Amino acid sequence: MAAIEISGLTKQFGTLIAVREMNLSIDREIFGLLGPNGSGKTTTVKMLTTLLTPTEGDAHICGYSVTKDPQKVREQISYVPQDMAVDPKLTGRENVIFYGKLYGIPKPRETADEALLMLELADRADDLVKTYSGGMRRRLELAQALVHDPEVLFLDEPTIGLDVGGRRRIWDHIIELKKKGMTVFVTTHYMDEADHACDRIGIIDKGRVVAMNTPTALKTEICQDIVAIRADGTFKGIFPEGVSYLGRSGDELRFKAVNGEEAGVALSRAFTDDGMNVRSVSIRQPTLDDVFLALVGEQDETMAFDFQRFRTMLRRRR
Amino acid sequence: MRETLYYMERDFRRWSRGKINVISALILPAAWLIFVGLALPIRFTDNYLDFITPGILVLTMLGASLQGGALLMFDKILGFLQKFLAMPAPRETILFGKILFITCRGLIQTTIILVMAILLGAHFLDPLLLLQTYLVLFIFGVLLSSVMTTVALSLEDHDSYAAFNSMIAMPLFFTSSALMPYDQMPGWLEVLARLNPVSYAIDAIRSMQEGIFPATTIAGLLIGAVIVLSVSVYVFRRATV
Repeated sequence: MAAIEISGLTKQFGTLIAVREMNLSIDREIFGLLGPNGSGKTTTVKMLTTLLTPTEGDAHICGYSVTKDPQKVREQISYVPQDMAVDPKLTGRENVIFYGKLYGIPKPRETADEALLMLELADRADDLVKTYSGGMRRRLELAQALVHDPEVLFLDEPTIGLDVGGRRRIWDHIIELKKKGMTVFVTTHYMDEADHACDRIGIIDKGRVVAMNTPTALKTEICQDIVAIRADGTFKGIFPEGVSYLGRSGDELRFKAVNGEEAGVALSRAFTDDGMNVRSVSIRQPTLDDVFLALVGEQDETMAFDFQRFRTMLRRRR
Repeated sequence: MRETLYYMERDFRRWSRGKINVISALILPAAWLIFVGLALPIRFTDNYLDFITPGILVLTMLGASLQGGALLMFDKILGFLQKFLAMPAPRETILFGKILFITCRGLIQTTIILVMAILLGAHFLDPLLLLQTYLVLFIFGVLLSSVMTTVALSLEDHDSYAAFNSMIAMPLFFTSSALMPYDQMPGWLEVLARLNPVSYAIDAIRSMQEGIFPATTIAGLLIGAVIVLSVSVYVFRRATV
């Protein structure tokens, strides 16, 4: 049986269906769940970590049901939520030892030291966490999560609010964990990171998984060449044959086509004939961003602004 | 249940490293005793200090418990609680850890009051009386901190918790038997004071000062604590965030 088996998982809040009949099988890989805000990513993770009870369906973690045997599930997993929760008034070592003791491992001090060493925090282990940077705090959270050697690791937006260097280090560690045989379930907004690190990706929109495959396969399946055009004015004509409109990203219009170069010339000509001023045309291979745009489209924020989360992010950036 | 001790240890470490927390916890009880115990012009007793000390002890424990519930609220809004609930440690140990920390911190504060009261002339040196006083304060602390921790788990944010806190703090304080005996109260206040759980704890200590063991009052507090704890454990086991 796979480390994570999800069958018909559904969560309904009143009339809102946050997650709809999700079916997934994940084993010894980094699985990335991508989706816009409010698409059901965090609700999914909360159900898998026994923090929310599903309305329908079930999921099994290492063979244990999240609905019937949540205690056994909790013994197999670690969960690092979006909010960066480490005690600033404790030292790094104290933070990890505390988790080691709670997990009931035999030698919490020694194991905490090993985890801190692995996450490159050994030299700062006795400093109070209030002196740690955002990236160090996230790595400390990983050390806490790994102290009991879980089978499955759930990470909700692990790199949100971190600088580029901090993000890279976090992903390096996550990839290292997968190599050691751990199953990692991660949600993220950052397409480039998911493309680089995840073995498979599921794209969720309005609670439903709309696509799932390896990043390469998703890009090949869903997109052809990408033509990106910046132009002034409004196009009222008909797009050339074989060209499909993907969407708008900022002031850039994106199209997909089998032959990007030919499509680029044809689109540029059509735009100019329509009285538009074409400023730039570029042709490139599709990225996961394009896949996301093709499947989910550009969406208005439908969720209420979460001030608590905004404040947490600001604090993390200091 | 070792996890209870680990949760409590975490809170004690965090508390002891915030200088202002410790200073305020130590100064506040002293201020209470001096301003209320020595300054009020009272005529119904010759030794107001002996009368008021049980009231201040219980009200200090009440204050510690009301303030203590905010600890869980912050654990919740800062994301700690999500992690704790996803861990294999029994969920009620989170509750027990908070109750133990809040009650023990309250007992440290009440110890300062007791020492000061004794230095100022209150008759509290009897070891049996001290032991029984601590017992009553412990039960009262468990009862109140259990209520407040569970309320914090159920409310959405810190503003709601602060509003709830303000709503119950003043009525509990002013309708208790802390400041004056029942025979000095207006009739309507006496009715309320006799129903107030804060009065139960104060009256129990006052009875013990007179050499009477208030078995019924202590049993009442104990039954109240057990009922509240049972409800709290039920709520914590089913908690979702």
